Amino acid sequence: MTDSSSAASGALASDPRARLVAALVGTGDEDRSAFRDLYALTSAKLFGICYRICGERQAAEDVLHDVYLTIWKRAGAYEPHRASPITWLATIARNRSIDWRRAQAVRRSTPIEDAPPILDEAPLASETMLADEASHLLHGCLDGLEENQRAAIRTAFFDGVTYAELAERQNVPLGTMKSWVRRGLARLKACLEG
Amino acid sequence: MSDDIAPDDISDAEIPDMAAAELALGLLEGEERAHALRRMLAEHGFAQDVERWRAHLAQLFDLWPAMDAPPGVLGRVERTIDGPEAVTVAPITAKPSLFWPVAAGLSSVAAAAMLVVIVTRPISVPGPAAQPIPVAAARAPILLASIDRGKAGAPVTAVYDPNSAALRLTAAALADADRSAELWVIAGDGVPHSLGLLKTSGASSFAISRDNRARLAAGAVLAVSIEPIGGSPTGLPTGPVVAKGALAPV
Repeated sequence: MTDSSSAASGALASDPRARLVAALVGTGDEDRSAFRDLYALTSAKLFGICYRICGERQAAEDVLHDVYLTIWKRAGAYEPHRASPITWLATIARNRSIDWRRAQAVRRSTPIEDAPPILDEAPLASETMLADEASHLLHGCLDGLEENQRAAIRTAFFDGVTYAELAERQNVPLGTMKSWVRRGLARLKACLEG
Repeated sequence: MSDDIAPDDISDAEIPDMAAAELALGLLEGEERAHALRRMLAEHGFAQDVERWRAHLAQLFDLWPAMDAPPGVLGRVERTIDGPEAVTVAPITAKPSLFWPVAAGLSSVAAAAMLVVIVTRPISVPGPAAQPIPVAAARAPILLASIDRGKAGAPVTAVYDPNSAALRLTAAALADADRSAELWVIAGDGVPHSLGLLKTSGASSFAISRDNRARLAAGAVLAVSIEPIGGSPTGLPTGPVVAKGALAPV
């Protein structure tokens, strides 16, 4: 994270990340036009997250509403040098969506069908708002896992599901799923730290 | 979970403790999740591991396809931001049994008056309606917690008045100048929910959100963790817990 301080200055309007940081910092100062800019820049990304995890449009819309209220209230605590803005925002969207999902009595045992597919390859760093986070390290390390490990970890992340739901979807015992994932995570950790 | 015996070829001992990653991914539920969250509070290294995993996993957000949000969400969010803090009703002027019919009648009159105002006065003028007042509710007992700081100093006292949703903490310097002390409530779900940051000097006051009001009940634990300036970036404690105590009725 070497360039975050320069990004935080927001001097380069053409740099999407700098614009996003400026919008988020402005939101923290309760600047309504910065908040609208932030919404314009991020609502499609965050709605994609809510929709995939919640699995239904109305719920995703309600969660999105809640996500932006949370962002409005919490943006003052955002620290540009500590986290990329999109990570900070996407984490709120994912967590809120998971909270909603876990509060539902009914479990969805299959993934939703009409959600756009998760991309297979990471975009080039120059095209992403995450550019400074050694973006490709995790992708490379995931590629080194066995298929069942990688698939389970990706599903857990993108669908926001628990061990029990993963096991149900793959039709394997819970203990088997846990050992796949734990071994995968241990390998991932070794690769990330290696 | 007692059924998580690893399959035949693997002994449990071989599988490393990956709870930090499991928590960051959201794989855990129930008691396993509560246990991991307690470790977040109790073990600084564990909290840091969770944070590292969150940062690594965040790279996957790049792969998440965007979808146009439905129209109107931003407008609704802004209306919620601008909306009144609490639902209010007209003052109670009649006997309880008569209140609703009277209020309905009054509001019809008020609506008719408003219509006249709107029709006859193109420039918006506030009507002479009475100021609404909050509904009177039965008084709930005040709750008190002694937030123990161990050897670091005298306990901090927290007083919560459910009637006004106001929480106050006595003065205490819990964090140094480079960090923030953040207050959490841990209720029945075992999950810490942030109540806000403590002031660096003097007593701290918190206005409690509706969600957290339900959590601030007798038996709920208040805890203070040390966080980066501005508070935890994740919504969960990331630093060591320096003080905690349970709420009890006065």
